[in-house]
Amino acid sequence: MKQLLFTMLAFLLLVAQARAELVIEITSGRDNPTAIAVVPFAWSGFGAAPEDVADVIQGDLMRSGQFAPVSNNDMLNLPTREDEVFYRDWRTTNTEYLLIGRVSGEATVTVEYELFDVFRQTRIIAASESGPVAELRMLAHRVSDKVYQQLTGIRGAFATRILYVAVNREGGEDVYRLMVADADGVRDKEVTRSTQPILSPSWAPDGKRIAYVSFETTRPAIYMHNLVTGEKQQLTNFKGLNGAPAWSPDGNSMAMVLSKDGSPDLYLLDLASRQFRRLTRHFAIETEPSWMPDGLSLVFTSDRGGKPQIYRLDIATGDTERMTYEGSWNARASIAADGRTMVMVHRADGNFHIAVQDLERDQLSILTSTALDESPSVAPNGSMVLYATKRNGRGILAAVSVDGGVRFRLPSREGDVREPAWSPYLD
Amino acid sequence: MLPRLTLLVGLALAASPVLSQDYIDLEAERKAAASAEVSQPAPVTPSEPAAPVAAAPVSASPAEQQSGQNLGELMYQLQLLQQEVMNLRGQVEEQGHQLRQLKQQSLERYLDLDKRLGAGAVATSPDASKVVAATAVAAKPSVTEIPGETEAYKAAYGLVRSQRFDDAIAAFDTFLQSYPDGRYAANAHYWLGELYLVITPQDLEASRQAFTLLLREYPDNSKVPDALYKLGKVYFLKGNSAKSREYLERVIAEFGDSDSSAVKLAKDFLAENF
Repeated sequence: MKQLLFTMLAFLLLVAQARAELVIEITSGRDNPTAIAVVPFAWSGFGAAPEDVADVIQGDLMRSGQFAPVSNNDMLNLPTREDEVFYRDWRTTNTEYLLIGRVSGEATVTVEYELFDVFRQTRIIAASESGPVAELRMLAHRVSDKVYQQLTGIRGAFATRILYVAVNREGGEDVYRLMVADADGVRDKEVTRSTQPILSPSWAPDGKRIAYVSFETTRPAIYMHNLVTGEKQQLTNFKGLNGAPAWSPDGNSMAMVLSKDGSPDLYLLDLASRQFRRLTRHFAIETEPSWMPDGLSLVFTSDRGGKPQIYRLDIATGDTERMTYEGSWNARASIAADGRTMVMVHRADGNFHIAVQDLERDQLSILTSTALDESPSVAPNGSMVLYATKRNGRGILAAVSVDGGVRFRLPSREGDVREPAWSPYLD
Repeated sequence: MLPRLTLLVGLALAASPVLSQDYIDLEAERKAAASAEVSQPAPVTPSEPAAPVAAAPVSASPAEQQSGQNLGELMYQLQLLQQEVMNLRGQVEEQGHQLRQLKQQSLERYLDLDKRLGAGAVATSPDASKVVAATAVAAKPSVTEIPGETEAYKAAYGLVRSQRFDDAIAAFDTFLQSYPDGRYAANAHYWLGELYLVITPQDLEASRQAFTLLLREYPDNSKVPDALYKLGKVYFLKGNSAKSREYLERVIAEFGDSDSSAVKLAKDFLAENF
């Protein structure tokens, strides 16, 4: 018993340490969230369960703002298989859906789960996920994805990851760390660190490679980093600005900003041939390229009209079209996978907010009410926007749903975090 | 210069200290120009042994400095011009956008109006058929739908929506030939009246005839107040103020109690032009 307690304590400590970087605070959810009970999963492996799978799933569903997980204390019984489910018990607590499951295995674990519709008294999902025990949290996120998809009709984006830059003051100098973490901020890992700034992390569509800008050679340069092998490559080393890398949807090329020929312009780097192609030629500033999902055009920020606004560039023809007219400052656009939702930084009344523009209806709505919001990045399913903002003088990450209804914050325990980038789907 | 600097400060949030490279480059070029003028005089001096060593650069300098200043002035002028072009471009973009919006809005107003008038026509027709049934007279063709009529009307109306006004006129003419007594005949006359006003050049007489025909053939149609108002406008455009006034006042006198939007339009038109 003592042994077990000790293992559990050691484990808890480990978990606490692993979670030290980002903490989630939910600030606003929907008015009528769906009541779902996620019963603690049975664990049939050796020793204590490595992760509380049900807790991870509850957290995911809660963060989506569309679900209100039933507290474990309000559960009348804790079934783990179908024959232990009594719908009456769940109806009395107004539970609409019930998720139960079992985790088994050692090095490779399997999570079996079943989802029930309490009012119709039917089982609507019975499935399983397996993988290495170290990835148990990811398996739990995948279960959340399936449940979310079943109940909302939208693919879940819980089993994804985020990149961000953490800045801490250590020994009198700023240390910049490029971090990668699960979408819930847990399991954060350092990708690289430098005493010089790290900026603009960007995911390859395969979810394995990333690109970013680092000043480690005291000049900005674009690097490519393979998260699986750890291999790192410097892609550019031009005089002046080398920035804002954006991987094309097919993964074969990268749009970026270089000022080697004068003012900052957009260039396209073919990753196989390492050939650069100049995409814009203008004495104004062209920056922050972001791809349309079809890979045929880019949106970017330019002040060619005297004020920074978003333009769209057709790569084949070179035709450029202005996309934003509301407000005197629109920048850092990124397009959701549906190709019709554009998020960006919009200045209104002197404050920088995250705004979303419906490209079909040409309607702009402001999503955030904080003052210095920047670097929006859309989840691969287009449901949430992750962005950086300031709170109590510190840089934190926050998220808001595309309709503005759901919000949560991911502040770090110490230092500043900024420049988030949400990964594509990983499977 | 100032807005650009503000932009730089703003963009620095997102992408870096280096955006100011734009300016550093210009500065560097200016410096390069300045250093070129210092190094250039060197080869000149040895060929003039009589001149004191120090005198050469001193005598060369003012002219070179002058050209350096000119170059700097030129760069400055260029920057001013670029800024000016950017501001103008911004204004052109915004005005183009506003124009597109206005066009869209006026089209939507047409669509809205037609929808409301169309709804009125549909609402009145069942009443008409009731009356017909009660008096045991065979249903008049004007209230029953002829097969293909709705499709033909919609196709013609679609041309209005896509602003192909000349094609729309042809389509409504054909429509009236095929379905002279159709339930949408009055609407077709009305649209012809409207369309002759929006084509270039306007055909005021054709428009007048279309509206007049509507009033004569369909005196009880829901489009009558609108047609009266439009006739008032057409006569005004034709320079016949008396007739114009007569029609506008008829709208107010005959339909003042209804909620027809034509009444307000007529009042506004009278207030503005008479």
